[in-house]
Amino acid sequence: MRFRRRILNPLTELTIAGLLVVLVLVVDDWRFSLAVLLLLVLPAAATSGRAVHIAVAFGVLAGPMLMFLLLLHGLFYPEGERVLLDLGPAAVTAEGLLFALEMGTRVAAFTGLLLTAALSLEVSELLETLTHRGWNRKLVYVLGSALGLAPLVADRAAQITRAQQARGLVVTRSPLSKLRALVMVGRPLIAGLLTDAADRSRTLDARGFAGTGPRTSYRADTDTAAQRAVRWGLLAVVVVFTSWWYVGRHT
Amino acid sequence: MISLELESFAYDDGAVLADIAFSLGAGERALVVGASGSGKSTLARVLAGQLDAGQGHRFVGTLSVAGEQLVFAGSGSDPRIDPAAWAQHVGYVGQRAHAHLSMVCASVAEEIAFGLANRGVPAERMHVLVDLAAARLGLTDLLERDPRRISGGELQRVAIAAAVVGNPAVLVLDEPFKGLDVAGRRDLESLLAALGESGTAILLFEPMLPRDAGPATRVLVLSGGSMVPVDQDVPGSDDLGRYGVGVEGVAANSAPLAHAVGEDRIPAIRIRDLSFGYGAEPVLSVADLAVSSGEAVAVLGPNGSGKSTLLQHLNGLLRPEAGRVQLYGEDLRGRPVGSLASTVGHLFQDTDQQLFEHTVLREVAYGPRAAGRSRKEAERCALQALAAVGLADAVHHHPHDLSFRDRRLVALASLMATGPRLWVLDEPTVGLDLRGREVLSGLLRRHIRDGGILMMATHDEVFAQAVCSRMFRLGAAAAAG
Repeated sequence: MRFRRRILNPLTELTIAGLLVVLVLVVDDWRFSLAVLLLLVLPAAATSGRAVHIAVAFGVLAGPMLMFLLLLHGLFYPEGERVLLDLGPAAVTAEGLLFALEMGTRVAAFTGLLLTAALSLEVSELLETLTHRGWNRKLVYVLGSALGLAPLVADRAAQITRAQQARGLVVTRSPLSKLRALVMVGRPLIAGLLTDAADRSRTLDARGFAGTGPRTSYRADTDTAAQRAVRWGLLAVVVVFTSWWYVGRHT
Repeated sequence: MISLELESFAYDDGAVLADIAFSLGAGERALVVGASGSGKSTLARVLAGQLDAGQGHRFVGTLSVAGEQLVFAGSGSDPRIDPAAWAQHVGYVGQRAHAHLSMVCASVAEEIAFGLANRGVPAERMHVLVDLAAARLGLTDLLERDPRRISGGELQRVAIAAAVVGNPAVLVLDEPFKGLDVAGRRDLESLLAALGESGTAILLFEPMLPRDAGPATRVLVLSGGSMVPVDQDVPGSDDLGRYGVGVEGVAANSAPLAHAVGEDRIPAIRIRDLSFGYGAEPVLSVADLAVSSGEAVAVLGPNGSGKSTLLQHLNGLLRPEAGRVQLYGEDLRGRPVGSLASTVGHLFQDTDQQLFEHTVLREVAYGPRAAGRSRKEAERCALQALAAVGLADAVHHHPHDLSFRDRRLVALASLMATGPRLWVLDEPTVGLDLRGREVLSGLLRRHIRDGGILMMATHDEVFAQAVCSRMFRLGAAAAAG
């Protein structure tokens, strides 16, 4: 992942992504959601070095939801009056399409924001930053292992499936066969991960992880005072903006 | 430096040590040898201060390290060992090196520094210590690599570097040579010699006595949880054999095998112009290989020469990039791996990754069940296979509660239960003790005598020569066979 862009500290990137999600939900306007999607998410994902991963994950997670929104509201919107196409029991209405557009851009914007942030995140750098900022080390570890667990679980699941296949589990291209393989791998996977976790907890104890004294960090702090200021500043702006949007705007 | 006077030690589940006493001074080295289940790993963990192992225990004895003496009376008021403080005096690496990784470090350097960082060692000092440990263990070029993406031998060295980075007086290593080839062993051996010269006391635990243990190494023999006296000057194989300890490089059952090679018109295995690589890097190329019924072929070559890769082509776990793999004249292309299980039995290098059920019987019956046999029939096959490996009385145990030798034999029984003609074994002797080797060689001989076929990847040439009729070498010189 060495080729990815590196402009901001991961904590700053995560903060920005989180605040943008809040803004998308607060503003609730398809033009704003679309602007976030096209002007921020798209360039960030494209330059993340993991554009394909993000695109695939986006397709899998948001794709069915977007289709569903379009079908449901596009065809069966109850308050729809301006009928564009009458299909008997169903009707394509302008209001329905607008509603689907609003919901769809919102879902797409926040799925895109969160996926781009999560999939292009350098976990270890984030953990270093949190350590330098003095966060609780156990919280940092739980966060780190949760974020870093996915590839480990995938490796382990693949090993178990290979062992099962070598002993006669036939996995074909059919979805049913794949589903069966997934079910077969579940219990031994969890049992194996628990054994690993027990071993690892002894290792962590022996390596002083349970200690209560101050922890240092091998890597230099990549966070800067400016970025810290930007994070707090952005947080303040979003809080003020949200308050104004809901209360101040209407008075 | 370190001394132990152990009267008794027992876990709640009954694993027991008794009557063990020794002490080790600065720069000295001791080798604890014992059969599988003799209590080696338990003793290693006691010395490493990891007494609990997730369950209750009772320890009566005295353990001293670096001038501090801890007396245990087996009561609730016994001293409690702080594993982190202990690790500063006694570095420890167990058998599963990957369990010694923190899993949150992005680079080898951070992984080595993890313990120091947790103790609050300043960054500059940490860099100095990490560079020093890396240089000692030949890891300088790997410092920026992802520790989750390095080879087993490299991982082993990272785990040792992490254990010695704080410069502990004692280093305890449980089977550090497992799975290393000749060059890997030699590297690790010289690293240990350098550590010894700098004053580190080293305790190694092994199932077999190495032939080149060296006169400076004290040999301690563990049998049934206790230390037994052996002649220190010449620990001969007869003497050790009584305690189930073999000497490496001495073959069990070395009577020559009469191979009844079948005169098949079509060879059982036929490989032509096979090539395979991970990414752009070619790993394996085999021009022509044919194996007939009744043949036992040892696949030899250094780590990374493609031995496992070749074996995994024989049941479709890997597919060739170019060339053909045929079994009994039939091309494996398009055949799902699972449909070959009754023809090809595959024993993986890492046994623990192969075992996934919660009782031995279910584990061994999995294959016949997957092949469509009834539960009763599958269990009959499983019991037969377990009896053949000598584990008929372990059917209701959890595989992971067995000793390493028995786990390996369960894995072997699980492939035998489906009755495949072709046995494909990846490093079957690694970590096995004398008894395990004897059982294994007996089973292999019977299989070949009955007209079966064996393909076995191994570093153990002596074992290969005792069991196999043909050697197939992979590596720079003879990749084409």
